[in-house]
Amino acid sequence: MRQVLLIAQKEIKVALREKLVVSLGAVTLLLLGVALYAGYVSYRQQQEIITETQAEKRKEWLNQGDKHPHIAAHYGTFVFKSKTVLSLFDFGLDAYTGTSVYLEAHYQHGFMFRPAQDHTSMIRFGELSAALVLQVLVPLLIIFLAFGAFTRERESGTLKLLMSQGISFRILTWGKIVAYGIILAVVLLPFVAGIFILSVSGIRQEVIPDVAFRALLLVLIYGVYLWLFISFSVWISLRSATGRNALLTLLTCWMFFAVLMPKTVANLSESFYSLPSMREFRARIQEDKRNGLDGKTPRSVRMARLEKAYLEKYRVDSVQQLPFNFEGVSMQAGEEHGNKVYDHHLGKLRETFHRQNRLRSIASLFNPYLAVQHLSMALSGTDMHTFIYFEEEVEDYRRELVRKMNKDMAENSRYGEFYGYKAQSDLWQEIDDFTYQTPTAPVLLQLYHLEILSLLFWMMSVFVLLNYSNRKMKPLHG
Amino acid sequence: MLQATNLTKKYGNFTALNALNLSVKEGDIFCLLGANGAGKSTTINLFLNFIDPSEGQATIGSLDVTRYAKETKQLLSYIPENLMLYPNLTGLENLDFFCGLGGKSYTKGQLEALLKQSGLQPDFIHKRVVSYSKGMRQKVGIALATAREASVLLLDEPTSGLDPKASNEFSELLLGMKEKGVATLMATHDLFRAKDTGTHIGIMNEGVLVEQFESGDVSFQDLEKLYLKHMHN
Repeated sequence: MRQVLLIAQKEIKVALREKLVVSLGAVTLLLLGVALYAGYVSYRQQQEIITETQAEKRKEWLNQGDKHPHIAAHYGTFVFKSKTVLSLFDFGLDAYTGTSVYLEAHYQHGFMFRPAQDHTSMIRFGELSAALVLQVLVPLLIIFLAFGAFTRERESGTLKLLMSQGISFRILTWGKIVAYGIILAVVLLPFVAGIFILSVSGIRQEVIPDVAFRALLLVLIYGVYLWLFISFSVWISLRSATGRNALLTLLTCWMFFAVLMPKTVANLSESFYSLPSMREFRARIQEDKRNGLDGKTPRSVRMARLEKAYLEKYRVDSVQQLPFNFEGVSMQAGEEHGNKVYDHHLGKLRETFHRQNRLRSIASLFNPYLAVQHLSMALSGTDMHTFIYFEEEVEDYRRELVRKMNKDMAENSRYGEFYGYKAQSDLWQEIDDFTYQTPTAPVLLQLYHLEILSLLFWMMSVFVLLNYSNRKMKPLHG
Repeated sequence: MLQATNLTKKYGNFTALNALNLSVKEGDIFCLLGANGAGKSTTINLFLNFIDPSEGQATIGSLDVTRYAKETKQLLSYIPENLMLYPNLTGLENLDFFCGLGGKSYTKGQLEALLKQSGLQPDFIHKRVVSYSKGMRQKVGIALATAREASVLLLDEPTSGLDPKASNEFSELLLGMKEKGVATLMATHDLFRAKDTGTHIGIMNEGVLVEQFESGDVSFQDLEKLYLKHMHN
């Protein structure tokens, strides 16, 4: 252990005296700082807008005046998806999923989540986020730092002198890995501190434990990811005859893992499991709403059946004789039919999404970059699963709102009265303001077991590679 | 202290070293002479366990270097033809680092004294090695050997490229080590230095030790004749 630390100490001293390494470290820290600051500003601005607009819309709902409940259901309201505080670190899919939705009777308006729009991929390089810097650029810094770990020693002749001191390749390798780990930790420490401070400042007391836990997990998974890059770079350097070979090999690997493979997997997942366009998606829903899921039960048939069932149930001859307004019941029945059709089509769409995500998760077993990308979005609350959870909560809220409006109409208005009946503000107040809590980290992580497995698999593989090479290696070939 | 028994190294069909038998005792300076490719450096590398022997055995202090790699390295110090140190560290920092690896700990004052004893100009001790000449780096190597209290010194053409003064200083340092009982095996092209400094001389040709004798037994002229005779063969 003492020798490992001695080597690490020497490596750090040498690296600090190399202007290139210091400059690269400073540039990386600057990039991370800029990305974090931009993320924070964006988060604050959006959060302020969301809070203000949500309060405004709530006020509008409560003060909409006396009106027929069904008109109120169409008047509707807006709900907003609060930005998770860690979205300042990883923007994830927020830019593609949107944050607000208009709620009204009969219609599930599109979130700015556009499953069937023109995006060729939901996973793409977006704005410069701190997560992107850590996932893509910091590995480049590691490559420039570590490609010469052994080749420089070999080319300059210091390797023979080192080995003649009685130290093993194992000690030398771990000394170098520890050194690069410490250098990186020092470079990233101000950034990590910044994340923690920004994450827990200005948020509700009760969510601090979950946010802090997520931030800790982010530190852990990025720690593993960057350790993998350090160890892999050192291993390539150990196996390479020259620094040029090591650098070319590492840059090729970086290009493959961080650029080519993610793009290829995203494109393949869309080719294998293609999504309908937004227009097709909406048109199919409208068609099935009109004619039923079987294609041969139009509204008139459904309404006639409903009327017949109610007349038989209450043993009356006409809907006017029912003890409630049948129009409210038929409105609710139409709503439930619409919900059933929507659930059917959304279910199919989500199945396609899940298949795409499944393929990407399987691909992450072969690429730690993909694993970290997915886990980072999940822990930042900007992934697809968090969005789907929000979408479901919103739809439940919309359905409850419409159900209460229809119920009030059925119970308090008379058949044929049409819009003569006016509900008052006490009904609007019965509808609670929309609140939403993101699923906790442990709940989300259960959906990412392949990604977690990937990181464990890569860690073990790198350990095995290092141990095998360290045992077999000689300072000279032969 | 150093013993080679039928030590052989083959690369495929090519035999780099063929059944070498030699022994270097405490206080001996055994100089291996020979042309390029004669097997001198291969011998040194085998004693360092940098390569594995195809046959035979190399021992240091009765320990097989392949089985007791770590233990035998604790006994030796190695100075290659061109001793390369870390250019961004000073001579003192380099010495401190390599001593530490060998399990030796010295104060700054002791390290300075070791470097001065080895002939390094005091004003270079705290300068980065990037500004050192080859001779200065070799002196740091001698300081390292002294600091490690090595009982065996393996030298691979250490005076090659040194100017006569630096070369002479190096020889003086070797003789100082000899007085302390250090067993030295030195590969060299320098007949004069071998005769002047060595206690024993071996001539190698195409992987075979063709001659070995005490340096006092031959004159410089005889040594030169013998050497040339084997080279022409």
